Amino acid sequence: MLAKHGDEARPLGGGTTLVILMKQRAVHYPYLIDLQKIPGLDEIKKESDGVRIGALATHRSVELSPLIRQAIPVVAEAFSHIGNVRVRETASVGGNLAHADYRLDPPPPLLVLGAEVSAIGPKGARRIPLKNFFRGMYETALEPGEILVDVAIPHMPANSRAVYLRFSTLSANDWPCLGVAALMTKENGRCRELRLAVGGMAATPLLIDGLDFVKDQSVDDGLIEKVLTCLDAQISPSSDLRGSEWYKRRVAKVFVRRAIERLNGN
Amino acid sequence: MKRSIAFTINGRSEAVTIDDADTLLEVLRDHFKLWSVRESCGVGACGSCTILLDGRPASSCFLLAARVAGREITTLEGLGEGDSLHYIQKAFLEQRAWQCAYCTPGFVLSIKALLDENANPSDEEIREYLSGNLCRCAGYADILRAAVVARDSARTLAGKR
Repeated sequence: MLAKHGDEARPLGGGTTLVILMKQRAVHYPYLIDLQKIPGLDEIKKESDGVRIGALATHRSVELSPLIRQAIPVVAEAFSHIGNVRVRETASVGGNLAHADYRLDPPPPLLVLGAEVSAIGPKGARRIPLKNFFRGMYETALEPGEILVDVAIPHMPANSRAVYLRFSTLSANDWPCLGVAALMTKENGRCRELRLAVGGMAATPLLIDGLDFVKDQSVDDGLIEKVLTCLDAQISPSSDLRGSEWYKRRVAKVFVRRAIERLNGN
Repeated sequence: MKRSIAFTINGRSEAVTIDDADTLLEVLRDHFKLWSVRESCGVGACGSCTILLDGRPASSCFLLAARVAGREITTLEGLGEGDSLHYIQKAFLEQRAWQCAYCTPGFVLSIKALLDENANPSDEEIREYLSGNLCRCAGYADILRAAVVARDSARTLAGKR
C-alpha cells in the first residue's frame, strides 16, 4: 500500500505525533496505514543476543517491562520520562524513532547500547545500526515504502553500567534541552570502555567517537577533562527555545561529567 | 471515508457511524454528548480530554475514533453507581479540589488509572503520575490533597475486602 500510494500514504504507529500534525494541518496524507493491525509488532522479547522491542510497543510497556527493567534499566528509565503517562500509553517505540525529532530521549541510551533497527520494505528486510539511522532533522535511513519492524538491543557488556540524564529547562513534561547517555565498563577499578551519546543538541543524536584513550585508565579529574575536550570538539549544538548554542555546550559538559561520576560510583 | 464502528462506552455497547478523520473526543462529545470529555490544548499535553481506554489513560484528542473499534471506553460519567459518587469524586468534593472545574474530569480519571495500577502510590508517585494534567487555575495543592485522600480511601476499601 505504501508503494502504491507513494507520498500520499503514511504508516501510522501510536499516532501521537502524526495525528496531531494532521489536526494542525501541518501535514496531509489521504491514506494512513494502521500498523496496529499487524499482530505481534508490539512484542518485547528476550533473545539469545539481547532484547528485541517491536516497533508498535508503547513507551509505557517499555517503561514497565520487567525484562527491560532487569536487563537494560537505562532504557526503562529513559522511556519513563517522555511526555506524560497518556502519551507514553499511546506512542510507539518505532514511531518515535522514525519521526526522528532531534530532541528524542530514547536515541542516546540506545546508541551507547549499540542498538540496531530492522526495517522491511519492497526490497526485503535489512538491519540498520542506530548510529547510521538518523540522517537529519526528521530524516532517517528508511527508504520509501519501508517500515520499521523492531529495535534490537544487545546484552550490556559484563561489568558495565549505563545512565541516561535528561535536562529540561521548561516543564518536567517538556522535550529535553539535552540528554546525555553514558555506558562504562570497569575492570579492577579502572575504566575499560566508555561510550557517550548526546541528544537534543543538533539535528541528529550523536555517538561520541575517539574515547579509546580511556582504556585501563583510572577515572579521575584529568581523564574526565580529556573526555570533555573530546566531547567539545565533536558537538555543534543548535540554539532553540530550550537553550542557546553557548548554554547547551556548557550544560552538556556538566551532564557528561555528572554521568561519568555517577557510573564511577562517586 | 465513513465507517461504522462498535465499542463499549461506560459499560454499554454502542455503534456509531464516524468519519475516518474524527477524533475520539469529537465522537464522544458530538455524538454521545459526554460533556466531561473536554478539549483544551489539543496535543495531549493538558489532560482535559482524558478517558480510560481498556482501563488505561489516554488523550482522546489525538486518538482516531476509527482505531477504538471493539475497545472499552470509560469517561467520568461512567464512574460511581447511580446517584452515588465514586470515592475519588467524593475526595474531590470533600477537599473542594476544583476552582473552575474544567480540568477535574481528567484529574479524576488519571487518579483512577493510577490507583487501578498501583493501589498504594507514594505522594511522590502521585505527583509524578499527575504531572501530565494541567490546572490553569493552579489549584494543584487542593487536587493533590484530594488524590491523597482518594488513595487512603482505596486503602481502606481494600482493607475491608
